[in-house]
Amino acid sequence: MWDYITERHSQLLYQSYQHLSLVIQCVLLATVIAVGLAVVVHRNPRIAALAGGVSAIGLTIPSFALLGLLIPLAGIGTATSVVAVTFYAVLPILRNAVVGLAGVDATLIESARGMGMGAIRTLLRIEIPLAWPVILAGVRVSAQMSMGIAAIAAYVLGPGLGSFIFTGLTQIGGANALNSALVGTLGVVLLALVLDALLLLVGRLTTSRGIRV
Amino acid sequence: MTALDPGPDTQPAGGKNLADAKGAAAALATSRRRRPSWGVLLGQPLFVAVVIGAWAVWRSNAELDAIEQRQLEWGLLGRLTVQHLQLTVVATVIVLAIAVPLGIALTRPGVKRAAPVVVAVANAGQAAPVIGLVVLLAIWLGFGFWTAILALCLYAILPVLRNTIVGLQSVDPTLVEAGRGMGMSNRAVLGRIELPLAVPVIMAGIRTALVLVVGTATLATFIDAGGLGSLITTGIRLLRYPVLISGAILVAALALLIDWAGRVLEEVTRPRGLE
Repeated sequence: MWDYITERHSQLLYQSYQHLSLVIQCVLLATVIAVGLAVVVHRNPRIAALAGGVSAIGLTIPSFALLGLLIPLAGIGTATSVVAVTFYAVLPILRNAVVGLAGVDATLIESARGMGMGAIRTLLRIEIPLAWPVILAGVRVSAQMSMGIAAIAAYVLGPGLGSFIFTGLTQIGGANALNSALVGTLGVVLLALVLDALLLLVGRLTTSRGIRV
Repeated sequence: MTALDPGPDTQPAGGKNLADAKGAAAALATSRRRRPSWGVLLGQPLFVAVVIGAWAVWRSNAELDAIEQRQLEWGLLGRLTVQHLQLTVVATVIVLAIAVPLGIALTRPGVKRAAPVVVAVANAGQAAPVIGLVVLLAIWLGFGFWTAILALCLYAILPVLRNTIVGLQSVDPTLVEAGRGMGMSNRAVLGRIELPLAVPVIMAGIRTALVLVVGTATLATFIDAGGLGSLITTGIRLLRYPVLISGAILVAALALLIDWAGRVLEEVTRPRGLE
């Protein structure tokens, strides 16, 4: 297996980079979408509950089915995997953001208003920073999930390490089938661990000092 | 209420285990609410019925070419659905048969200390992307139904195991004590106090497992184990969008139905005293 890795290390590095970059970009996009949505819906408990329900139902849909539904719209390739990964990545963040924003103490918002802060400043300086650890927990779930979904998306020629796994599948019986599948799988595990550690670090750096534990 | 069910306020399951984050997230979202509203319980199957109805009308009237006709033949669709359900049910039953007793054993005195180790090992196994797991097992054991079942079981065992352990651990020790004081044997305490109190948590884990399994079973087609996923792969290979979309719709509908069945099961099995 070591020979296999050294022989293909440039391709391996490139696909790892692609995988990681796909996941990070999609999760970033998803965070923006989800927090934006949550800001809009969290004041209305009914719509917020609906958002929670949509999130739960959406996560039930098998990723392979969603990929299938997207192909006629987005074609085979990167676009489909970006849309699919982003779709699933939004859901946990949305749910956490709604809960996090709803959990901000109303008296704090009141006092911010009393200090003369406008709605947007209250949101940016009080609500989002206080909800941030909860939102970030959702981001971590999303990131882990996206790693696996991106691997499946390689079947529709999405970028990333999943291609090694599918190469292993199609070359079954061949000399390098096991190496290929194993490298792809372990690579994804490794990337997931790295990204999770990275997000923990981001969490430490971006959590407001007053609520750091 | 428990570590399973911290609500989104605390560290989610994702930190501890990577691969089943999706299922865990799905379960967390709903298990936080003590009682799902009947609106959700009725709305979900109604929605599925409408979607399937619309699809069936389309299927009966659409003009399909010969290949599409063959792929979307009613008998074949029925067989694939049955295969998919078989994969789901067999895997879930095996998972239950292993994970629940194991979880019970791991909370008994003496073995208790092994629990974190076992959960850690299970977590580590789950970190792999499921498609990788499926392919690696197929390379090792060959294609077919039972390889797919093994992959599904490995993938779904963790939520049930973890929830069984957490559910049993979160039973109020004073209740166990009271049972002992009444002269109950260990077995009676387990059967009449601990397990009934842990049932909601265990059931939440089982629903998570069901959702994971029904979704993952779509990948069984890659190793010739059948299921509705094969419509999607066929649709992609032959570039026949009707087949592809039909497969995706049927798989999604089945997943929603299974999720719904899990919810109903959760409601039905909840012990009366815990309302």
